[in-house]
Amino acid sequence: MTTPFSAALGAELTKLRRSLSWSVVVLLPVVVVLAGSFTTVVSGQQLADGWHTLWLRSVVFYGLLPLPLGLGILASLAWRPEHRGGSWNALMSSPVPSLYVVLAKTLVVALLGAVMQLVLLVTVVLTGKLLFGLAGMLPGRYLVITVLLVVAVLPVAGVQSALSMAVRSFATPVAVALVGAGTAAVLLAAELGGVVLVLPWAVTARATQLATGTFGDSGELTAGGAAAVVVAGALLTLLAVALATRYLERRDVHT
Amino acid sequence: MSGRRVGTGGVVRNEVAKLRHLRVGLVAGLMVLGMVALTLLSTLTSAVFADPARRSWDVPLAGLSLAVPLVCPLLLALVASRMVDVEHQGGGWLLNATSGTTPGVLCRAKLVTGAGVVVVVTAVTHLSVWALGRLAGIDAPVPVGLWLGFAAAGLAVNLVVLALHVVLSATVDNQLVALGTGLLGTVVAVFGSGFPAWSAHLTPWGYYSLVAAAGYEGQDLVRTSPSCFSVLVLTVTAAALFGLVTSRFDRQETR
Repeated sequence: MTTPFSAALGAELTKLRRSLSWSVVVLLPVVVVLAGSFTTVVSGQQLADGWHTLWLRSVVFYGLLPLPLGLGILASLAWRPEHRGGSWNALMSSPVPSLYVVLAKTLVVALLGAVMQLVLLVTVVLTGKLLFGLAGMLPGRYLVITVLLVVAVLPVAGVQSALSMAVRSFATPVAVALVGAGTAAVLLAAELGGVVLVLPWAVTARATQLATGTFGDSGELTAGGAAAVVVAGALLTLLAVALATRYLERRDVHT
Repeated sequence: MSGRRVGTGGVVRNEVAKLRHLRVGLVAGLMVLGMVALTLLSTLTSAVFADPARRSWDVPLAGLSLAVPLVCPLLLALVASRMVDVEHQGGGWLLNATSGTTPGVLCRAKLVTGAGVVVVVTAVTHLSVWALGRLAGIDAPVPVGLWLGFAAAGLAVNLVVLALHVVLSATVDNQLVALGTGLLGTVVAVFGSGFPAWSAHLTPWGYYSLVAAAGYEGQDLVRTSPSCFSVLVLTVTAAALFGLVTSRFDRQETR
């Protein structure tokens, strides 16, 4: 039986099929990994620590800027149909509860974010094997980090979706994502510890830095570090969804 | 109603008036703040700057050479998107066409207006870095020629990128394309300093690495000369293409 929530989620997935979301989801991780690898190749350097060096060069910058901005663009894209024509009024008059609408949008953005992480993982593996001829396979800890990254995109998906719901402009939420990502990068560089995880963009960036030894990371994948990302991510996502739902319930039709 | 055609000056004045409502001033402020903050951060954390005997203008110039490609590509895409998307959403193309302002003329007016913003941003950013450098204790003589060349070449590249985004935002209604391109441009611009010179010439964003005034080679700070000739060729080519494309807009049926 189709529940109102599954219907809302299905509708969002149908809308996505007709969008250009794939261009961000596929191109962004591929371009970041290839650009990092290209600079390594032309510099004539070797990957000093094999897979670890390749992962570090591919993923750390990706988590600081391209990933949060990519999620910001995808969230704007997800809410774009509602801000055009009479779709907002149709949304306001539909029987689907606000919570389901907000949840469906957030999950769809997070789903695209999850696919981005898989594309990133596959591109890193292919680059390591085909371009650098690295022995063996990408160590298992990076597969665990990829799973953590899938969780870590949730808070940014939630906040960016909420912003894109509240603001009609496509570009403005992306500007907020840039400010958020920039602030998170500075705070992480200052090595303030777990406090920075109150910022959604910092949670995503921190997840990409796990086991890299950068930005104050210990260089090891620890249960504490992973748990901090998961707990902070879950709490911030719940908060973003709750606030967005409350906001949507108080909105009216556009006349 | 007079039915008189609006002159070019009038179209530009209209665009300036729109800037206030589009909060472009806020985005411009963000550009200045982002570039100055990143320059300050990289300067104060530089090992070269920590030694008072080696303190020179090359340190903030290297910081600014990195901050410009990190901040400008996406925010220029954002400025262009904000300025053009309003015409898509409000039926502005048709409204302007009925008063004699064709889409091509409108795009050229938007570029002139946006260029004014970029000129102010460039001037304020460079003057701020100079003032903060003085405050931070850099007493060495200012390399005026190098700095002016860097500022002028950087401004030219920014204007080319802005022109590209005005055309892109006007051509494709879905602003995902414009902002996604801006994001990919940021990646190319950031990694561009590691690319060989020939490949930096392949995209407008690669030119950010060609205008750098200083940078780090490993731990060593080196002064570089902006490739003014390459930037001049880019600017002339881009101006010709922009004129060609926008004159084609004038001959197309208004949306």
